[in-house]
Amino acid sequence: MSAHARRTTLRDTAPAVVGVGSLVAFFLVMEALVQSGAVNRFIVPPPSEIFMSFGRVIVEEHVFSRFLQTLVECLTAGIMLTVFGVAGGVLMNRFKLLQQACETWVAAMASAPIVLMYPLFLVIFGRSSWTIIMMAFVSALPPVILKTIEGISGTRKVLVNVGRSFNLSTYQQFWKILFPAALPTIFVGIRLGLIFALINVVGVEFLINYGGLGQLINDLAERYDLAGTYAAICFVILVSVLFFMALEKVERWLRPVD
Amino acid sequence: MTSSNAILTADHINVRFETAEGPVIAVDDVTFDVKQGEFLSVIGPSGCGKSTLFNVIGGLLNTHQGTVKVGAETINGPHPSIGMVFQEESTFPWRTVTDNVAFPLELTGMAKAHRIEKAKHFIGMVGLNGFENRYPGELSGGMRQRVSLARTLASEPKILLMDEPFAALDEQTRLLLGDKVLQIQQQLKQTTLLITHNITEAVQMSDRILVMTYRPGKVKRIVDIDLPRPRTSEIVGSEAFGRYVAQIWNDLREEASRGMRDEEKHVMDEAP
Amino acid sequence: MAETGRLTGTAPRAPALSPVTLLRTAIILGVLAIWEFLSHSGWLYRDVVPSLLAIGHSLIDLLASRDYYFNLGVTAAEVGFALLVGGGAGVAVGIVLGSNRFLAKAFEPYLYYLGPTPKIIFFPIMIMYFGVGPESKVALGTLSCFFPVALSVAAGMRGIDKVLIRVGYSFRLNALQMVTKIYLPAMRHPIINGVRLGLGVALIGVLLAETKLSNKGIGFLIIQAYSIFDMPRMYAMLIVLFVLAIGANALVGRLGGLHTIKRT
Repeated sequence: MSAHARRTTLRDTAPAVVGVGSLVAFFLVMEALVQSGAVNRFIVPPPSEIFMSFGRVIVEEHVFSRFLQTLVECLTAGIMLTVFGVAGGVLMNRFKLLQQACETWVAAMASAPIVLMYPLFLVIFGRSSWTIIMMAFVSALPPVILKTIEGISGTRKVLVNVGRSFNLSTYQQFWKILFPAALPTIFVGIRLGLIFALINVVGVEFLINYGGLGQLINDLAERYDLAGTYAAICFVILVSVLFFMALEKVERWLRPVD
Repeated sequence: MTSSNAILTADHINVRFETAEGPVIAVDDVTFDVKQGEFLSVIGPSGCGKSTLFNVIGGLLNTHQGTVKVGAETINGPHPSIGMVFQEESTFPWRTVTDNVAFPLELTGMAKAHRIEKAKHFIGMVGLNGFENRYPGELSGGMRQRVSLARTLASEPKILLMDEPFAALDEQTRLLLGDKVLQIQQQLKQTTLLITHNITEAVQMSDRILVMTYRPGKVKRIVDIDLPRPRTSEIVGSEAFGRYVAQIWNDLREEASRGMRDEEKHVMDEAP
Repeated sequence: MAETGRLTGTAPRAPALSPVTLLRTAIILGVLAIWEFLSHSGWLYRDVVPSLLAIGHSLIDLLASRDYYFNLGVTAAEVGFALLVGGGAGVAVGIVLGSNRFLAKAFEPYLYYLGPTPKIIFFPIMIMYFGVGPESKVALGTLSCFFPVALSVAAGMRGIDKVLIRVGYSFRLNALQMVTKIYLPAMRHPIINGVRLGLGVALIGVLLAETKLSNKGIGFLIIQAYSIFDMPRMYAMLIVLFVLAIGANALVGRLGGLHTIKRT
């Protein structure tokens, strides 16, 4: 049994090795191409240079405090999203007429380029964190509402019937059965909302040249600090990946064993 | 038709549904009663309206004619004396076994410690000691149905109403659970109304069997099962048992073929 | 358990003035009324909430101007190319990853974790490589829509009923036939949903890039209206943009045979 287990582990790690290995190989090839002049170093700096500018960028550009700023903006938008999104979904579920009237509108909004309203929000809130937060909030709201509705109305009929068989009041039925049953789907909606929020926060920071990490990239690009720009982009990718992974962990932890 | 120790009476139950093809009579003038402490099975082919009957007695369906009485009281919605066990998976996946079973006790405002103690009693009754803190997702299908049963038993209903609770389980699990239910029923002297399509199960467990026709569902026959209890495997293997099964199958075969022909006709009519 | 007949409502076909329509009309009228009130109240900074009349005028001016349609064409072309290249690459990569377990385990995590990053931050690189013209916008749009399409298609591939693949093999279909006769038809829904998502993000990517650095296109017009503080014009453009975007999304859905609200 243990020999078999060992063999399986090798097969399991092979794809990861190939994946990571390919990435490393890619960097080495790029390094060679840039250093030899085959690729213009004024468009793509050599990976080694990018790597070395990490330290400089972290210290000089105060990456950590910028990261915090982006994080705070994101969390603020995230809290607003959760509160209003779930409440909105619950309300629409409670008042069926409202749901019938408005659900298609919300779904349509989900496919609309809401973030294009950022110039409008700039006028309303000025070049400040609130433009960023409100923009992220509005863009990411539809999926939270939609998933909340989906979760509550998708509760398995038999569970609803169990509640009815115990003569639960509407209030009890909602809090003891519908809402707990809907939580997994609601968390999927919140996760989607948070991801959209992060994307919009960083994007708008970049566009209006204010804020944390998004602004950093814009700043470095405008200063023609090529290696720095690439490095900053790498940071944002790193943050986004970690954020995404953290959300997945939380969702798996909160979701009851299905 | 009603006798003095009838705890549940169903009186001229009629259920009609409006469908695209016109009105369909699911249950046609069904009258019967259930005596205190007895085990009554309702058996019939698919499409005989037995699940509809289950919903009517359980108070989940109100668009019927005729009355259902618990004692002298006509029911008007789910009656607190009637406990329902559903066919599908009905445990709450977000609650532990204990919290699932304690659910009806929670509704009465019982104190937590008392609830847990009582729940433990019923968990033990269905043979799930040791699983109190597990979640339904960690249990097998058969174990989950036991949790559902324990939950309903915890509300100490006068009448236990079950809709094919073992249909989704494999044969062996079903036989074992059937034994368990019988054991509990005998122990508690629980009045039980079981909806099923399994003849052997019905004969093994019941005092009386109500055989229904195919749609529109009428009472075809009420069979008294005069076999001694406990219903050991000897009795299950006996000639008398076999005769009951054969008799009921005779009735059902006719109804089941009617059902099959009807379905085929349906498909033919809908063909493009 | 056999169902004893389908339950349908016995009510005749609902009249046009259903409660839903009434509520919707009431909401719309209510919003418009509040808007107009705010616009004339003077509470907010001037012109943040222009009167409906002003917006209406701008809308008409906009739809009547040739210049607008030129810019619309530019944006549409950029999005179209982005979808073609990014979507095409996404489908190809998705099919490869979906059919090969090993490659999927090795490389799909990159797509999965890079997907939810804001692509606009790559714009400076696109400008450096492609210049300030439409090519850089197309490049950004391509990058944006590649990921969702590839991930949808890969998931779609894995979701194909395995028995259908065995049927294909049993008829000795070659790779191209497998793709065109089995994989793609079986994956209609995931592909359409992926394309819808791709269209949405490509549109956003292209437009945002245009607002950042461009002298053509709808995004450019929007930021231009902002810079001269012509708010009614900006609102008019946003309205038209939203109508077109939602319409395009619905159209793709219809074409793909999905008549329901996109819920996943």
